[in-house]
Amino acid sequence: MDRSPDEDVAAAFSSGQPDALALVYERFGPLVYSIALRSLGAWSDAEDVTQQAFVSAWRSRDTFDRRRGTLGGWLVTITRNKVTDALRERQRDSRVLLHVAGGAAVTAPQMPSDRVVDRIVLADELAQLPESQRLVMVLAFYSDLTHQNIAHVLGLPLGTVKSHIRRGLQRLRSRLEADGVAH
Amino acid sequence: MSHTDPEILALRALGETAGSARDAEHAGTCSRCRAELARLTEVVRLVRDEGAGERLETPPSQVWNRIAAAAGADPVPVPVPVPVSPAAAAANGTSAPAVPRIRPGRDLRPGRPHGPRRRLAAGLAGLAAGLIIGIAGTAGIVQLTQAPATRVVAQIALSPLPQFPQWQGAAGTAVMRATAGQQLMAVTLHAPRQPGFYEVWLLARDGVSMISLGDLNAGHTGTFIVPPGTDLHDYSRIDISLQPFDGSTQHSKTSVVRGSLPAAALGGITSPR
Repeated sequence: MDRSPDEDVAAAFSSGQPDALALVYERFGPLVYSIALRSLGAWSDAEDVTQQAFVSAWRSRDTFDRRRGTLGGWLVTITRNKVTDALRERQRDSRVLLHVAGGAAVTAPQMPSDRVVDRIVLADELAQLPESQRLVMVLAFYSDLTHQNIAHVLGLPLGTVKSHIRRGLQRLRSRLEADGVAH
Repeated sequence: MSHTDPEILALRALGETAGSARDAEHAGTCSRCRAELARLTEVVRLVRDEGAGERLETPPSQVWNRIAAAAGADPVPVPVPVPVSPAAAAANGTSAPAVPRIRPGRDLRPGRPHGPRRRLAAGLAGLAAGLIIGIAGTAGIVQLTQAPATRVVAQIALSPLPQFPQWQGAAGTAVMRATAGQQLMAVTLHAPRQPGFYEVWLLARDGVSMISLGDLNAGHTGTFIVPPGTDLHDYSRIDISLQPFDGSTQHSKTSVVRGSLPAAALGGITSPR
């Protein structure tokens, strides 16, 4: 059976394997924490949301069905809900403050930005690419080099670079479609 | 007419003028190729313009401590059979995500919640340029996009001691993983339910000094952080005790199973500061 490392983590998680939570946290901790931090802007809030998301994921692991979606996507959904709760709580606090200060309440609906989530999902997938492929992709994205120049600079066959780029982009795209929200 | 070569589409999504004039024409008129190009171009836009290439933030270690404490307090016991044989533990270990390891000594804590992502994208681009100029090292640029690493340092079988015949059926495993800046110990125990609770210890070579890592949950499992700075060359044995509910924080002197960190594993562990 040819499973990706992420699928292994998901399998361990749904089987309730004893150290599965640690595995899941190691793999997806930065994803969850980064979404929380970028959405909330404050370290302490991001830490609280990260904790809530993983504890809630662990307690409701029976409801995760890996035939219906990825573990990453499931965790992203839980994280977004916890971020929304945190934002609501903040809004409540600020309404109380405004009330105390005699001002009008501002009730703009708040949600974690979908773009924030998508950006972090992509960053996470980029970080999962094998070392040499990641280097090719980073150069393709951020340098002005053409694929021929990248091949030359890295001393790789042209075909390898082209294939890294095609597979890399498609892999990023698939992950975005599986775990992202805006696309 | 055949569709545009996917490699050409990918390069065009990156802004290169790859392929022939016919490719360009086809990609502009064929709905399938045009849609594929749009999908890939959107990824490129997100990475380049919205900074999706940024490095993710690593949560500080206390977050895991809080999660482990909260999840460990979960009244629902872990419902599955626990692997005990070293082989099972080994299989278990290899399921760890295959993330390349970060070199020790690198501070993974974020500096501050960041401002514009552009800066980071620009920083990455700058690094890429640096790499091209002085191609000597690739580690820097690779690390920027790297997720926190974890690796299995040791898988230790825990077995009963001859002086405690009542535990001869017991067995356990301890899988030690190194993540950035810390060591995690995942412990499982196969032993009958007894009055009291099972506690995990690190024993020093002198046979007297010990560090309590914590208690196993109702499913007889637990994942613990080895206190940073612990000299594992000295505290090299893992011991699980059965503790009575007597309020004492001392080891009950009833060791259920025990095992030693292999010397080979210790070689890979950074010495305490």
